[in-house]
Amino acid sequence: MAFIAPTAKPSRAQADERGLVEAAQRDPASFAALYELHFERVYLFIARRVGNRDVAEDLTGDVFRRALENLRTYEWRGVPFAAWLLRIAANAVRDRAKRGGRELSVEDPPEIGTEPDLAEVEDGARLFRLVNDLPEDQRRVIVMRFAEEESIRAIAHRLERSEGAVKQLQFRALENLRARLESRPRPTPRRSAKLGQPTGRKHG
Amino acid sequence: MDKPSLVEQLNEGVEGTLSRRSGKLARADARLDPLLRLAHRLRDLPRPQFKADLKSDLEKAALRTIRADVQPTAKPCLIVENAAEAIAFYRRAFGATETMRFEERGKIGSAEIVIENSILRITDEFPEYGSFSPKTLGGSPVKLHLYVADADAFAQRAVAQGAKILRPVEDQFYGDRAGQLADPFGHVWIIATRQKVLSAKEIERRWDAVLDKERARMPGFDPIRKGFHTVTPYMIAQDGPALLEFAKQVFGAEETFRGIGSAGGLHGEVRIGDSMLMIGGGLPGKKFGVTPATTALHIYVKDTDAVYQRALAAGATSTYAPADMEYGERSAGVKDQAGNYWYIATHKGPRYVPQGLHDVNVYLHPLRAEPVIKFLTQAFGAHQRAKYASPDGVVHHAQVQLGTSVLEMGEAHGAFQPMPSMLYLYVPDADRAYRSALAAGASSLQEPADQPWGDRIATVKDAFGNTWSIATHLGVKPA
Repeated sequence: MAFIAPTAKPSRAQADERGLVEAAQRDPASFAALYELHFERVYLFIARRVGNRDVAEDLTGDVFRRALENLRTYEWRGVPFAAWLLRIAANAVRDRAKRGGRELSVEDPPEIGTEPDLAEVEDGARLFRLVNDLPEDQRRVIVMRFAEEESIRAIAHRLERSEGAVKQLQFRALENLRARLESRPRPTPRRSAKLGQPTGRKHG
Repeated sequence: MDKPSLVEQLNEGVEGTLSRRSGKLARADARLDPLLRLAHRLRDLPRPQFKADLKSDLEKAALRTIRADVQPTAKPCLIVENAAEAIAFYRRAFGATETMRFEERGKIGSAEIVIENSILRITDEFPEYGSFSPKTLGGSPVKLHLYVADADAFAQRAVAQGAKILRPVEDQFYGDRAGQLADPFGHVWIIATRQKVLSAKEIERRWDAVLDKERARMPGFDPIRKGFHTVTPYMIAQDGPALLEFAKQVFGAEETFRGIGSAGGLHGEVRIGDSMLMIGGGLPGKKFGVTPATTALHIYVKDTDAVYQRALAAGATSTYAPADMEYGERSAGVKDQAGNYWYIATHKGPRYVPQGLHDVNVYLHPLRAEPVIKFLTQAFGAHQRAKYASPDGVVHHAQVQLGTSVLEMGEAHGAFQPMPSMLYLYVPDADRAYRSALAAGASSLQEPADQPWGDRIATVKDAFGNTWSIATHLGVKPA
């Protein structure tokens, strides 16, 4: 499946991103801006494929380090920077699978291949960013529960709330996320527009 | 048994998802399906701490990339008494990032920090290898010059972290805003922000101005000898004493000094009104080898007619009889026996001397005024005060301000021909004026040297034949 359909005319978002990439090529210290923009996409792409948090973190680190090292070789040809990053990520996942297949989860749904699918990644990244927009107590519960994989009891202890209250927060947070996910993306979603491609559409 | 609440059921579903049990929970309410699907997707939610740590790692890696790609030609290596503490200080105070460190017997053998776009090595002191810290040496002969985006804010932060201000951050003549501070380890940092990019020439010019100001502030320092103006004419006659007598008789000059000059002849100094004249020359009956130097002087007196008569009586010849001039003066001209021209004048105004001029003013008759004005400007920082030219471009009269004096000139015509003069010029810095005079086209007759009478003097000849004794009065040292 081809994951990019090069557009004839670069969009404004593409032009913005191109500026960021060129800035980072001139001065690697500005790489942080690109990292902030693409972290969730890369992480999600890898996590989905390796099914193991430690390996996912390890590979995500490798991908960004490799991107930083090879930034100068990236050439702008209407190919979104995200696509370039995901290509590195796909290679990293494949290499890891070759070296020690056991580290890769066998539970991977068969429809997910190692080829990056920009739309799929974009959906997931949007969900992760919506977590950040939740009310603070809900956000903390979601982060502790899903990212840090804490038990309800441990979360209750850390937040100094009852277990029932934490479960309530978890429930409300998920409902909230569902509602926000179903609502249309905000009119000028600066962050999601950065990818340079409309969301929710597959190309190929 | 009650059916568990939706909240409980959802939690059970989440537990299942997190423990990666496959399959749906049979008991879950169908309304929970969308939420459980979300929970499934959230299994891959990244840890915020991981995201932050990786970012910080990448930032360090980016700095190493800078280091690898742009290895600077010069990289200072700072030796300190406690390198680990120093690095911690530079991080807090200067926003430095540590990119590398290796240790040796519990001491830092070499570490590198990056401050903005510069790399510095930091090491502990190892006296056995000849590496000594400023504390051991009692100071450091090297200062580090940091260019930062905001020197004020940078210095403020550094001070809050324990740096000491040696010089506050201020605007500097060379176009920077800069100050100096000492860190707790004995290294001195110049913290600067470039405000204006100036040419080396402009910086030099500004530096001269700073020096002049500083000299002016020195107690008792006056580059001009007491009683003198910037320019003093030095007339040299075959018969020195006769010329001196002429000045006394005709203009009521007061003799302030009479001695033997460096050429073995007379050196005399007289005061006329607010001005001084130097008169030199041979002594009667003695051979004098120095070429006479004559000058034209514009001399203001209270009664032009009376002075004119006295001059003629003292042996001068008339060049023009007293007359009222269209420029507001009554004036007469005489030529003394030594060949000097005196333009005797009485200003018609509140005082017999016009505003801004002195009792005695040097008058030049160059072939062309423009090059002379240019030379005076370049060599001595003169500036043009006034210029009167006829439509054909002939400059009949021009005035140039030179320090406290005004030099007058009119281009040569008729009886008024170029008359190479000798002028004694006081400047704030004789060495500098000597150099700029040479740069402006003068030739050196004598390099700057201290003289026994308390002046430092250099002598040059300009392209028009005038000789300039460029002097700075240093004061006579008490014996």
